[in-house]
Amino acid sequence: MTFTEWLRGRTDDQLRALVLARPELVAPVPAHLDGLATRAASPSAVGRALDRLDRFALALVEALAVLEEPLAVERLEEAVGAPPGRALARLRELALVYGPDEELRLAPGVRAVLDDPAGLGPPAVDVFRHHPPERLEEMADEIAPGTAGGGKERLAAALAEPGKLIEEVSPEARAALGQLTWGPPTGRVPNARREVTVATARSPIEELLARGLLAATGEESVTLPREVGLYLREGRVHRDVSPVPPALEGAARDQDLADRTAAGQAFELVRAVEELCERWSAEPPGVLRTGGLGVRDLKRTAGLLDLPEWTTALVVEVTHAAGLLAADGDWVPTSAYDLWRVRDTADRWVTLAGAWLRMDRVPGLIGERDDRDRLLNALHPDLRRTAAPGIRLAALRVLPPGLAPAAESVQARLAWEQPRRRAVLRDQLVEFTLREAEQVGVTGMGVLATHGRALVEGGDAAGALSPLLPQPVDHILLQADLTAVAPGPLTSELNRWLALSADVESKGGATVYRFTESSVRRALDAGHSADELLSTLARHSATPVPQPLSYLIGDVARRHGRIRVGTAGAYVRCDDPALLDQITADRRSAPLRLRRLAPTVIASRSSRAVLVDSLRAMGYAPVAESIDGDVVISRPDARRTEAPARPPAVPPTGLDPEVAVAAVRAMRAGDARRGPAEAPPGQVPRGPATATIAALQEAIRQGVRVWIGYLDSQGNATSRILEPARMEGGYLTAYDETRAAVHRFALHRITGVAELT
Amino acid sequence: MNDGPLIVQSDKTLLLEVDHPKADECRRAIAPFAELERAPEHVHTYRVTPLALWNARAAGHDAEQVVDALLGYSRYPVPHALLVDVAETMARYGRLRLEKHPAHGLMLTTTDRAVLEEVLRSRKIQPMLGERLGEDSVAVHPSERGNIKQALLKLGWPAEDLAGYVDGEHHPIALAEDGWALRAYQREAADAFWHGGSGVVVLPCGAGKTIVGAAAMAHAQATTLILVTNTVSAHQWKAELLRRTSLTENEIGEYSGSRKEIRPVTIATYQVMTTRRKGVYPHLELFDARDWGLIVYDEVHLLPAPIFRMTADLQARRRLGLTATLVREDGREGDVFSLIGPKRYDAPWKEMENQGWIAPADCVEVRVTLTDEERLAYAMAEAEERYRFCATTPSKTRVTEALVRRHLGEQVLVIGQYIDQLDELAEHLGAPVIKGETRVKERERLFQAFRDKELQVLVVSKVANFSIDLPEASVAIQVSGTFGSRQEEAQRLGRILRPKADGGGARFYTVVSRDTVDQEFAAHRQRFLAEQGYAYQIVDADDVLA
Repeated sequence: MTFTEWLRGRTDDQLRALVLARPELVAPVPAHLDGLATRAASPSAVGRALDRLDRFALALVEALAVLEEPLAVERLEEAVGAPPGRALARLRELALVYGPDEELRLAPGVRAVLDDPAGLGPPAVDVFRHHPPERLEEMADEIAPGTAGGGKERLAAALAEPGKLIEEVSPEARAALGQLTWGPPTGRVPNARREVTVATARSPIEELLARGLLAATGEESVTLPREVGLYLREGRVHRDVSPVPPALEGAARDQDLADRTAAGQAFELVRAVEELCERWSAEPPGVLRTGGLGVRDLKRTAGLLDLPEWTTALVVEVTHAAGLLAADGDWVPTSAYDLWRVRDTADRWVTLAGAWLRMDRVPGLIGERDDRDRLLNALHPDLRRTAAPGIRLAALRVLPPGLAPAAESVQARLAWEQPRRRAVLRDQLVEFTLREAEQVGVTGMGVLATHGRALVEGGDAAGALSPLLPQPVDHILLQADLTAVAPGPLTSELNRWLALSADVESKGGATVYRFTESSVRRALDAGHSADELLSTLARHSATPVPQPLSYLIGDVARRHGRIRVGTAGAYVRCDDPALLDQITADRRSAPLRLRRLAPTVIASRSSRAVLVDSLRAMGYAPVAESIDGDVVISRPDARRTEAPARPPAVPPTGLDPEVAVAAVRAMRAGDARRGPAEAPPGQVPRGPATATIAALQEAIRQGVRVWIGYLDSQGNATSRILEPARMEGGYLTAYDETRAAVHRFALHRITGVAELT
Repeated sequence: MNDGPLIVQSDKTLLLEVDHPKADECRRAIAPFAELERAPEHVHTYRVTPLALWNARAAGHDAEQVVDALLGYSRYPVPHALLVDVAETMARYGRLRLEKHPAHGLMLTTTDRAVLEEVLRSRKIQPMLGERLGEDSVAVHPSERGNIKQALLKLGWPAEDLAGYVDGEHHPIALAEDGWALRAYQREAADAFWHGGSGVVVLPCGAGKTIVGAAAMAHAQATTLILVTNTVSAHQWKAELLRRTSLTENEIGEYSGSRKEIRPVTIATYQVMTTRRKGVYPHLELFDARDWGLIVYDEVHLLPAPIFRMTADLQARRRLGLTATLVREDGREGDVFSLIGPKRYDAPWKEMENQGWIAPADCVEVRVTLTDEERLAYAMAEAEERYRFCATTPSKTRVTEALVRRHLGEQVLVIGQYIDQLDELAEHLGAPVIKGETRVKERERLFQAFRDKELQVLVVSKVANFSIDLPEASVAIQVSGTFGSRQEEAQRLGRILRPKADGGGARFYTVVSRDTVDQEFAAHRQRFLAEQGYAYQIVDADDVLA
């Protein structure tokens, strides 16, 4: 039974499960199941499927790769030391393994993708490939006298049963083999290529080299042939692979307390982002030529937010990932920020935390240097790591309730779950994830919070978080030291009103406001009257309005607007001539070049703005006047960009189940329709890309020449006769007979392949 | 959701809702590690500073207690970052310790080698150190004991000083509790100090800091040097010690501009100690004149910089700092911590008032409106003359007269900054004036007459800011001050806070010119008192005059 036949024999449900688990197989949908089989065997598709395997399933694949096919399930169990069970079912579901239990086989293309499977060296035929044929003949004659065939094949046949050869060597030599048994299968010795025979062997290594139990694979390196390794492992392929993931270890903590702590931090994050956007609205930092945020701007922002630099960098990155911040010459909040700001705290947090979870950028790298020793700035384009969202999610998913596992424990767990990921990057990302999760408020004291779990598992995170957050209050406490305390987040209307008429002194769960002369003046400038201010305060205060506060407002209001300044020629007018006397008499008014027009009016040659500022500096409280004599309402303006935020990185999501159903139906239909498809003779062959790759792989394996259709860089269709050497990274390297040189060919430009007969 | 009385802010301030049923309990839990910053009527503000945390650490509290208190009383979830910061900051205290070494005298040891290596690299620290004694200890030049503590605090690794103290020359001192008794908090304060070795006791004006000093001396049983702000205060200390302890006239010496007595208990003024002639401090020898067992610093928040330098050399002697506030206008709170010692005891004003140890006080701001001519003159005045001009406006004299009339029969103090103004007021009120040039004898005669109620009104300049014990003064009228000084305001209020014989309250008037810098400065000064819970009432001068 071939792989394609097996695939065709799968039920529709099983095929749907396959394409759901390996969505890249149906992007685009192959025309028929043959196409699906070809695509499933392509190196990139196999690589991605293997990347999804845990340590145990991967061990099964490795065992199948090194043992002779077909393999019975009992033999497989023996090889890995545990019943394959569900892991085998999973491999079948992923179409990496096929066939019935008695005759298990690896899907085509899998073996080629595995490097050094299970820490075993290459088989003898490969290992001795570079030895001169005479040398191989010599060795074969010595260890397998009287056999027929080429030297390499005879040697391989002898090594398939190496028991006798191993018994011959000294205990020291056996110990040397023991070192390499469980991998890595290579060792270093000086002058590995020396020619020794059984008779002339003097050292343990020479004994082994002479018998082919070790093969020289470089000037100073030797490799244990796979057959020998397998023999030494005594039927096992893996020594100690656990079929279950390692348990997480760490400190047990109260889940409620963890939830509350995380909620406190979540509140902090929302507040920090809001503060950041407000600050950057007024004073946006520039965008660096390389696209990031300057180191000094980051430092300054850290100072403003009163956070350490790395946390600030995280806040900036999360704000950006959530689409609240974009580059528009400067880094400026987007219009999305205004929408975000008015939502309730829990929703706002979900937006931020979700953006953090899914972003493919790694804020933890900020401040480090790249390969070319350039500093990585916050918001720098080079901070992207495709693996980041996957690992972030995986690291959080494994966190159990009520336990704060150590980073090493989580790293070990992920090493089991995703063994093929690059360990260094993975470990680093896990560390970043745990550190950042704490700051974002997904975890509290190292324990995944209930709302954090909901976020990770797609539940109602806002609903879980909301009851833990301070509830909005609609009252304040007024005190005689001219402060107002809001004992919780204020309703938005009251919040805006207070922010206008008082200065914020301290933020957090509560907000402390201070009324000052200038803050009250700001409120009056914005068109409120003193009576309105006092009545609003009285209405919202849980305590009586203290007398000093009403005096403050009265005092400012009394002076406010007594002096009026106009643009037309710039004038100062005031109902109180004594006050104007005072202004004209004031020495500091000299630069304004004031002239008294009437007892109640002064004109100036300065602009209105200069005049207003100067008078304020002198201690007066003028208001600007329009041409009609109305008071001009002044309000600090905040900048916004309309530049669209970079859409949040699309997470590596699964396939929509409906698409899977449709894809399977389409392939079945294509299968039914399908007739034999051959390239018409004498024409440039054309075929689907996956068939091209399969044909090229086959040609590489067999070492034969092929005829390809190729679009050159100008887009002209050409045909070449090639001897393909290897295929990697989307390129085929081959000897081009037409040009008599080795060339690289982009795979996507190869329009078809045909065998040369 | 927890319904606690405390709200923990991200800037490490703690807001305590005082009307909450658990407020008292919570206050006691957080007081060890948070400084009371403001105590207005509804919500008190505490601040968790590194110094406060180290004070708590020095008093034997650990990070877990702090975190528990925050989590237990907080109404809202406490941000994790803050808890981590608290734990990390507290863990910094005591990693380094100063200990006795038999051969080198003093050594710096650590429980964390990395920290020692870090501070050893500091160029400021290196010259103070001797040879390396082992992997975790290094010798310290004994003369640098104070400097190294200062420098380590600046580096963020405050050292715990366990090197002990010299006993000093023995001298028997006992409290003479005849007809009076040490109040509970005074005893606690003295015990806490003695137990800690060295440090600062924070008590409001009028709470009997002198007696805490006396109790500390009774603990020490040794010769004592007392440093006070001025001569009058020195006399009061002497009088108080004679009354409260077994010490006799001959055992107490005064070391001031006019007299230079060195006795088993010697009281010296900051002024004489910091006098400089030809670049040297001629009176520095006082510190070595005897083998002092205890040094008391009165009004430690006013300690001048040269005294800090001298104190750095006195680290082997027990030091007691007394003050009403740790707030220093110059921000040298860290030097007080490292050179005098951590805070050993404090009690908030309002609480003392509720217990009846200090008199309750009403504060009133009287606003005077300048006449049109005055406003014109004010606008034309040079910047440096503006405050003086508006602070000494003649309108204030009229208002002050009216206020004194209103409180006829009570003991009234009129306090001001400018001598001309005070002279003029004295003339109008027919009252004597005490100013810088008034001789000490004359001052004491007048104070005594005031205490004896022979004099009802006394006009005083800023010489009376500190440590003048006038128990029966119940009304103070402040006409001008040292610009915006907060601690001056506190001190002046302190003059009238001593409990009255009739148990009545005190009244503190500030007369202020409306719409001038006087009003701005007044607002700044009053903020301190408003934050201590003394709400200001504002009245118009016309209402007073009517």
